[in-house]
Amino acid sequence: MTGEKILLELRAVGKSFGPTAVLEKIDLAVRDGEFITILGPSGSGKTTILRMIGGFIQPSSGEIRLDGRDIAGLPINRRPFNTVFQDYALFPHMDVAANVGYGLMVRRVARQEVARRVRQALDLVQLGPLASRYPAQLSGGQRQRVALARAIICEPRLILLDEPLAALDVELRKQMQLFLKDIQREIKTTFLFVTHDQEEAIAMADRICVMNTGRILQLGTPREVYYRPQSEFVARFFGDNNLVEGILGPGDARQRRIETPLGSILCAVDGQAEVADAPSGARAFAVFRPESVMPAPSAGAPAGENSATGSVADVSFAGATTVAVVNLEGNAGPLAARVKIASRVDGVAIAPGDRLTIAWPALECRLVLA
Amino acid sequence: MSSGSGVNRRIAGLPLDRARARLWPAALGLTAYGLPITFILLPLAAFLTYSFFYVTGATTHYDLTLLNYRRFFTDTIFLPVFWRTCVLCLEVAVLAIGFGYPVAFFLAGLSGRKKYALLMLLLVPLLMSYIIKIYAIRSILGGTGFLNRALLDVGIIDEPLTIFVYNLNAVLLTLTALLIPFAVLPIFLSLERIPRSLLEASADLGASDLQTFARVILPLSLPGTIAAATFVFVLAIGDFLTPQMVGGQSGFTFGRIIYSQFGSAFNWPFGAALSVILAAVVILAIVIAARFTGRGREFR
Repeated sequence: MTGEKILLELRAVGKSFGPTAVLEKIDLAVRDGEFITILGPSGSGKTTILRMIGGFIQPSSGEIRLDGRDIAGLPINRRPFNTVFQDYALFPHMDVAANVGYGLMVRRVARQEVARRVRQALDLVQLGPLASRYPAQLSGGQRQRVALARAIICEPRLILLDEPLAALDVELRKQMQLFLKDIQREIKTTFLFVTHDQEEAIAMADRICVMNTGRILQLGTPREVYYRPQSEFVARFFGDNNLVEGILGPGDARQRRIETPLGSILCAVDGQAEVADAPSGARAFAVFRPESVMPAPSAGAPAGENSATGSVADVSFAGATTVAVVNLEGNAGPLAARVKIASRVDGVAIAPGDRLTIAWPALECRLVLA
Repeated sequence: MSSGSGVNRRIAGLPLDRARARLWPAALGLTAYGLPITFILLPLAAFLTYSFFYVTGATTHYDLTLLNYRRFFTDTIFLPVFWRTCVLCLEVAVLAIGFGYPVAFFLAGLSGRKKYALLMLLLVPLLMSYIIKIYAIRSILGGTGFLNRALLDVGIIDEPLTIFVYNLNAVLLTLTALLIPFAVLPIFLSLERIPRSLLEASADLGASDLQTFARVILPLSLPGTIAAATFVFVLAIGDFLTPQMVGGQSGFTFGRIIYSQFGSAFNWPFGAALSVILAAVVILAIVIAARFTGRGREFR
């Protein structure tokens, strides 16, 4: 799937408009053949990165290397990358076939060859019968696929996707996520996908690069960023994590304690040297996911588990899961925590006002430095 | 409207609710339909009717006849002038587009405040009196005008040229100069409406600037360009003042013939018939243009 060969490398690339820096000096290596997602809220600089790679804007500093060579001097139309734009940017005066064949046509590829490859590309995105339609006659999902076919037909080294699914409704977006992933596997081209939707990033990416305020906060597999956030921002950005602030206590390379208002919490720190090696007394957060939390049968946690007690403030049905908000009793006032349990047809055995003891395993509790 | 059950409040005998409900739409309808009918449709109808009357000597006969139209098509004077005027106005349209497109392109390429400041500057002549502008152009093109004196001073010519005054060339140049702003505006707007992401997509797919212009910008600005050409053509063909003032003896156009029918010849029915023919040409031009730009509806 993903080789270790580096296709594209950003070295200390920064961008500022006047005195405001939208991108601090960032380093990023894109591997050949991977599906990498840049994830961040709006204004995090993720689109700026994509547009700098595409050549639409010049970096203020640093260099972008393709196969180890700086491509600063390469104009947009000479870069072996193609972009799928957020608004698709299909040419309204050309039919689907002409749109898809545009990249080959401007390279003066023979007419018959263009027609052949257009057919191929349209078959790949399952739009063969619509070749003579105009963009205005297509649905959003179809336009999306035309834009994709238009980008892949030139066989670029890298395909840049700028929030291409943002305009689609939820159901279609899920379909397109799978579809994009399938296509990427089939043509084995590197995809760089920009999005603000963490579920989308998790569903598609080989690696996720989380950004905020012009900085890269974490780069790793979806599993790593989901289960092992390295900063408070990442921990909060992925779903509805529970965060409890405290002071680092003793530990080893695998586990470490943190003293919190809820008492001492045991957390896993394997593979997180920066937390394992942090000095005792440093401020940190214990992070655990709502779905890791189980209502405990009785007070007192089994070995290797953490527990806390509180009163249920709210229970809400959310389809597959039911989410309960529990005000945990801490020595500095109540602390709200979310608990996710599987929904049942006859409801769950928790009601607002109940006293509840919850437990979560140390294995699924991580630490991030404050 | 008002429900029948309630009490109708009245002041000085006039019902409040219902009076409002009925009078107001009626007044609105009368203005909306009445004004155009009175001031546009009725005069047009009057003109059309007039074109079927005829004049002998100094008396107008109010019997319906096709005499005027027959005269237009059989007399050896009118058709050639008519044809020459159409060609002239087409030339004006082509020239105005030729000068206007680069100007519009340049304007659309500017950024922010500079763009609109220059656009306003371009529109300033539209606020000036038409006659003053014609005089100004006459003083540039005339025998002792700016153009001739400049050419004399530089030494390109030995005596003032007469090819720019009181002939069709003068009409052509003057009309073009006066109508260029009308060509620039629609082209500028159509260029402005092209999403910048289309240009990015074109470059991204490997097109050079020239290819992007030829394949994306030009076709997408075509509806605006055709609209501009239609504007200019229609305005030029209806103009009689410019040919009258700069055309001299040889610069005779169809508009001037119509003008003379109402003025010196005092043959209103024949003038009306010629006007109807001119109107038919204008309508035809607009229909053809709509056909061209109407194709846009497919993809917009």
